[in-house]
Amino acid sequence: MRIAWPAPIPARAALPFAAAVVALALAPLVLDVYTLNLFTLAFLMISGALAWNWMGGYVGQVSFGHAALFGVGGFVAARLLLATPLPAPITWIAGGLAAGVFALGAHPTLRLRGPYFSIATIGVGEAARLVFTYWEGFTGGASGLSLPIVDGGKEALYFWGLALAVLVVVASWALRRSTLGLQLLAIKADVDAASDVGVSATFYQDLVFFLSGSVVGVTGGLYASYFSFIEPNDMFGFDRSISFVLMCVIGGIGTVLGPVLGAVVFVLLRQFLLASYPQLYLGLYGVLLIVIILFEPLGLTGLYLRLWRRLGGRGRLGPPPEPLAASTARPTAAAAGGEEGR
Amino acid sequence: MARFIDLAVSAVLLAGLYATMAYGLGLIYGVLRVVNLAHGGVIMMGAYLGWILHQRLGLDPYLSIPLVVVVSFGFGALLYRVLVRHLPRGAAGGPASLLLLFGVWLVLRNAAYLAFSGNDQVIRTSYSTQAIPLLGSFVSVNRLAVLGIAIVIPVALHLLLRRTYLGKAIRAIAQNADSCTLVGVDVERIYTVTFGIGTALAGVAGLLSATLFAFNPAFGAGELLKSFVVVVLGGLGSVVGTGIAALILAVVEVFAILVMPSYLTSAVGFVMLVLVLVLRPGGLFGQRVLG
Amino acid sequence: MKSRPSRPRVCRPTGLVLALAALVAATACKGGGSAEQRTEIRVGATLPLTGSEARIGGFFKEGYELAVEQANKDGGLQVGGKRLPVKLTLLDDTSTQATAVSLADRLVNSDKVDFLLGTYSSHLVEAQSTVAEQNKVPYVNGGGGASGIYKRGYKYNFGLLAPVELLGDTLMRWIDEQQQAGKLPRPARIALVWENTAHGKDFRNGVQAFAGRSPGGYQVVVDESFELNGKDFGALLGKVKAAKADLFLADAHLPDYITMQRQYVGSGLCHKVVSYGARGSEKGAVDALGQENVSYILSAVWWSPLIAAKGGLAKEFVDAFKARYGGRSPEWYQALGYESARALFAAIQQAGTVDREATRASLAALNADSILPGGKLSFPADKGQQAHYPFVVQQNLADGTAPIVYPKEQATGEAVAANPRCAK
Repeated sequence: MRIAWPAPIPARAALPFAAAVVALALAPLVLDVYTLNLFTLAFLMISGALAWNWMGGYVGQVSFGHAALFGVGGFVAARLLLATPLPAPITWIAGGLAAGVFALGAHPTLRLRGPYFSIATIGVGEAARLVFTYWEGFTGGASGLSLPIVDGGKEALYFWGLALAVLVVVASWALRRSTLGLQLLAIKADVDAASDVGVSATFYQDLVFFLSGSVVGVTGGLYASYFSFIEPNDMFGFDRSISFVLMCVIGGIGTVLGPVLGAVVFVLLRQFLLASYPQLYLGLYGVLLIVIILFEPLGLTGLYLRLWRRLGGRGRLGPPPEPLAASTARPTAAAAGGEEGR
Repeated sequence: MARFIDLAVSAVLLAGLYATMAYGLGLIYGVLRVVNLAHGGVIMMGAYLGWILHQRLGLDPYLSIPLVVVVSFGFGALLYRVLVRHLPRGAAGGPASLLLLFGVWLVLRNAAYLAFSGNDQVIRTSYSTQAIPLLGSFVSVNRLAVLGIAIVIPVALHLLLRRTYLGKAIRAIAQNADSCTLVGVDVERIYTVTFGIGTALAGVAGLLSATLFAFNPAFGAGELLKSFVVVVLGGLGSVVGTGIAALILAVVEVFAILVMPSYLTSAVGFVMLVLVLVLRPGGLFGQRVLG
Repeated sequence: MKSRPSRPRVCRPTGLVLALAALVAATACKGGGSAEQRTEIRVGATLPLTGSEARIGGFFKEGYELAVEQANKDGGLQVGGKRLPVKLTLLDDTSTQATAVSLADRLVNSDKVDFLLGTYSSHLVEAQSTVAEQNKVPYVNGGGGASGIYKRGYKYNFGLLAPVELLGDTLMRWIDEQQQAGKLPRPARIALVWENTAHGKDFRNGVQAFAGRSPGGYQVVVDESFELNGKDFGALLGKVKAAKADLFLADAHLPDYITMQRQYVGSGLCHKVVSYGARGSEKGAVDALGQENVSYILSAVWWSPLIAAKGGLAKEFVDAFKARYGGRSPEWYQALGYESARALFAAIQQAGTVDREATRASLAALNADSILPGGKLSFPADKGQQAHYPFVVQQNLADGTAPIVYPKEQATGEAVAANPRCAK
């Protein structure tokens, strides 16, 4: 397996991105603490969403159980922080690796396609939640784990979060443009045909699942350090799993910008709605989901692309990535019937 | 021995409950290949409907079953016509259908919060805590009723599918929708009706649950997950399979208390779900079309 | 013909992200220096006003608002020669940890509140109190009873809920009294069933600890947890039945209490002592189950309106509450919310300043009269600044009343030991 490095990044692309990163790095000089903390959370969610997207968008395996990986990473990191003198970043990486290994443990489910895989991940996620909530020795049970507050911790976490987000964005972009990305696309479109041309679904899916799980685990570790308190129902809950799916679908599944937008919207919009219209918060999300699925499968990114094209955007953007449907099934009854997804 | 009978009775009653919950989900998936994530929301809707009827009109929950059926059916048909119709069908549309209906569920939940507040409600009738002595233990009257309905539904569905034109059309479409269009079956209409029946079943399940448990707008999530397990175990699309799978799940969950802490017995169901999907995706009964 | 490489997705869109960031920054400018002329005391709080704990969140809101109204009745709190009104900013945290923390962050760093009142539910309090501690803001809560919250050495966190272990312990003390009086068997077999939350765990620990300290007195024959909002307790109750226990001690939220008690009665179970922890006499339960099915259930609570029968501050509170809320009687939620706010206000007035450090010290040294059982409120440093005071044990009687039966100083009625329903 050769991974050809993506074509050198044209300056036109790298410059705005670098500028954004520099701006964010300098933000603590001008923004207040509350906004910075929100940004930190957003960075965490961006990393998690992008990592989920590697499975859900690139490979096409929509997972409803990623909370299990998030939780494993978070609790492993927290336990290490409490029990050993290891510095926090090391514990986060350890958490990530543990989560990655856990993901590999779910290998048998990768054989499933489409909704079958999604339902299987629901099962894995829920079983994990119950077991880990019960396992007091590891997670502290329902009482959770409290971490000591680190002075200046939240300020440092801003930069760690930013670094992680930048890393994951670059990795997502590189993955998308690399040969590996193409191989994943092939698997997503048609597993059997892909294996016919030598793209081993098993190996690549395992690899991506491991990577996705690891990054989500690292995110969990940072999350634990950020809140200084984690408990299993919050970390492993179905709501947590759904949040990853929501962020990517609303933002634009399969793209690089999508999960970023989705995470930002998720964190910021949530705060805004909760402060002003708490009674409508759930319903608005629901309506957003419905509208996106029906009219713009690529979510906010799709809207943005349409706008950009309409405004006469220059340059080719390349083919838009495949939205949720793995193949272009026509939305009529004719598509149903004998077609059985395995 | 008495312990064993106790557990067995518990298991059978629980199976009735699980089966009632799962029929609607299974029917919709079996025919439309759409995973109805709004199933939990419709269950919640049915519960609140029964509760309102009981509160305002003093209507006994069992008497309000026909009304709940009609309203839930109407809701499902409307839902199909307006939203679900546009989804790509089959495994290709998998995640999209999941998320669209999840969105519907969120909206339903919000609507319930606005209309009823998040307080827990329960339907209380004169016979709510009445129990009949049976086989050495006591059996709640409501639970028996649920069991009875759980047995009646597959029978009714079976009659519907075998003896009526509608049933034949449903079965034909489940096998091959394209051919049905060719021979002049109005596929969209049948889909609408089937989706409506699915939600009607969910609504009834919700109503029955309301006679047993306290509920609030977040009700339905746990029920939905358990229904998944049952439907997958039973082989998506088989009504009888669903019933038997509910029994298996209930038996495993109830008897598991002998060997593991009560809290973990729910996890057993999910583990079974994963195992069945991985080892035998056609379900324990390997049927892929309605039967 | 060489085709132009497709522009990477990241480039233009970063402009979008930057624009978003700028937008947020514009609405969140650093600065906003504190006004030299103070015109009010800003208190912030979040409560679960929607979501799973919405009912209780609403109750706490009533308590907070009543306290604020009373404080502002004469123009506000007496601080350094002036009267400053109290302004309460209340946000909805939907019972989610991340939201509770973010909103607390916002209240402190954006809305610049001076003090924080707590939210409801132990895990939320535990998470939210870290924000208070990091920002050195006094945080007075009546919603976090888990003792783990107070074992972290926090200086700014003050808890009004006595530890839940004491709840289990108090119940056992009453049971012990009955056992000494010969009304319960010795040794007594206990079936202990608890919801798997911090609350349930602590309750269970309290009961187990007491049983452990009384050799030969108690045997815990069932010790099982169940999931919150679990629907079917058939197997669990079957296990309880098979264990042939004398006492049935459970800890559950209201919906589980209702469901479990229904199934309990429906399966013909009966124990000499039945308790659901802090649940028992709620009107919702009586409505849902019927009076005859909740009779003789014992509950141990942090506060009961019956304490007002002895007069004093508690009675003033109950009267004020009834006047404000249409004749309805408060439960412990409203009382704890009210008392938390009142404790904060008392500390501010005692400190004579709105300065956070001074108020913190004032809270730490507080020893005030209170509506709580025992009549006094303080935050002992050796208990992590968690208030300790006796719980009151109530029992539902067949006539619909629920008198306090223990401890003797607070008792308003006689207990009926050895559940008469089982004699049938």
